[in-house]
Amino acid sequence: MSLAAEAFVSQIAAAEPWPQNATLYQPLRGNQVLMLSSVPQAYLRMCGLPVRVCCRANAEYMSPSGKVPFIHVGNQVVSELGPIVQFTKAKGHSLSDGLDDVQRAEMKAYMELVNNMLLTAELYIQWCDDTTASEITRQRYSSPYSWPLNHILAYQKQWEVRRKMNAIGWAGKGLEQVYEDVSQCCQALSQRLGTQPFFFNKQPTELDALVFGHLFTILTTRLTTDELSERIKSCSNLLSFCRRIEQTYFEEDKDSQSAGSQYSRGPSLF
Amino acid sequence: MAASMELLCWGGDWDLPSVHTESLIVLAYAKFAGAKLTVKPVDWTWRTITAVIPQLNYECSSVTEPTQILNFLRKNRFNADYELSAKQGADTMAYIALLEEKLQPALLHTFWVDAENYSSLTKPWFAAHSPFPLGFFVPGRLAGAALSRILLTKAEAPLHSITEVEGKIYSDAKECLNLLSHRLGTSLYFFGNAPTSLDAFVFGYLAPLHKASLPSGQLQQHLKQLHNLCHFCSTILQNYFTEAGSGRPHSNQDAVDANLQKLTQLVNKESNLIEKMDDNLRSSPQHRLNRAHRPAPKPSFQTAGRNSTPA
Repeated sequence: MSLAAEAFVSQIAAAEPWPQNATLYQPLRGNQVLMLSSVPQAYLRMCGLPVRVCCRANAEYMSPSGKVPFIHVGNQVVSELGPIVQFTKAKGHSLSDGLDDVQRAEMKAYMELVNNMLLTAELYIQWCDDTTASEITRQRYSSPYSWPLNHILAYQKQWEVRRKMNAIGWAGKGLEQVYEDVSQCCQALSQRLGTQPFFFNKQPTELDALVFGHLFTILTTRLTTDELSERIKSCSNLLSFCRRIEQTYFEEDKDSQSAGSQYSRGPSLF
Repeated sequence: MAASMELLCWGGDWDLPSVHTESLIVLAYAKFAGAKLTVKPVDWTWRTITAVIPQLNYECSSVTEPTQILNFLRKNRFNADYELSAKQGADTMAYIALLEEKLQPALLHTFWVDAENYSSLTKPWFAAHSPFPLGFFVPGRLAGAALSRILLTKAEAPLHSITEVEGKIYSDAKECLNLLSHRLGTSLYFFGNAPTSLDAFVFGYLAPLHKASLPSGQLQQHLKQLHNLCHFCSTILQNYFTEAGSGRPHSNQDAVDANLQKLTQLVNKESNLIEKMDDNLRSSPQHRLNRAHRPAPKPSFQTAGRNSTPA
């Protein structure tokens, strides 16, 4: 979105309070290999804002920027964590108001580290590693479509991701190197977290939501090897961090399981 | 280290040891860590098109990419990060990721995609510093790589053109510069009193933006307002790269020419101001009574004024 459009949307957003029927759309569970629905969900739960989760096969096409998941609130559709944070801030809910400038700089830096390293590594492992791509990713990505569309879309997506990896210089990296990078990133996060309950003081911020979302997704998704989740599990404080957030913020999901079947049962760390 | 390490990089200009960001990062880190590198500029050689810059050659192996080169230097005991705690090491990784994600696209855009900057500064420089036939290809190739990198990483599916992404990447870059400025505060380097790899990265990204004479540089204007970052660049240049600056008499001559130009511009501004003041004076109420008596002098003064401006 251009800057003027963003400012305009923020203004409109500020006008109304958060509605009860806000919805989060994500692709079908069996479809995407690594889903990141946990990131905005965790953030919204930390803010205490109610949101329903809806699974749709064409979620990627409904999203304004092509990224899933996205939220539909009132008359606006917002995707990606950055714009969602701004959107909720315009409505008056923010998690990072208590931080001073230096801390905010650190938070943004760590968020970029997670985006840069973890997200790119996830994409690499899904699409650039031949075994994973052929056995798991392409099958799952193309499952809702019939022949020949499934092949075309899967290969198109793979080609796009490989092009992007080329542009940022990850194409030459081997799988071992990527695992090594993920380990280093996890160690950096582990160092930063230390023994605190959250990354910044006692309050969760968007960094916590982002880290939780990525780590949870990696830990609960089945790939050809468990190498990636093993590397994360080796940092024990990150593992307990994820469990703690799941217990605190996603506990009510389990309670309402018996209540209605519109909440699809998601994976769990337990 | 009996054998010496050789670094291939782009040459220097604008008071910098190199105009290329990644080469600058490696050069700065080598100075901080005390590693002796033989610097071989690739200017005017065929390596401008064949080699991946920067490239460190040691014995028979070669390493490319700043992060890999820094790791290599660290393994060979040239470590500028020795004094850092584990948390500071983690912070370094995070800030480097911030620079790469938020600042680098805008820098690439400023130097390689913005039409005015590219045609008047970047392209002539790189074309002049490449051997004869390559001067036609090298800048175009680098510009194409820069554009595709920006589009692939920042432009989402519906926004395939560069114009929609421009606003976003510049605002991200300005935010990044503000964050760096907050983090640096009033200290000399990012972690205490000794420079580390983070300082090398920040210097590599900021120094060309600070020193190059860009015709259209909104990001440069923004950087100039952040005095602690400008001071940071000048300090590193002064403390670690002074021999590069003093060994080139051309830069002194350029400085003198630049001063002369500034002086001329000031004189012209002054004369324009005087002309305007005079006009205001003449059109003021006290003078209106006398204007009927003296209509002639005004036009002649104006023509005289116009002749004096292109001095």
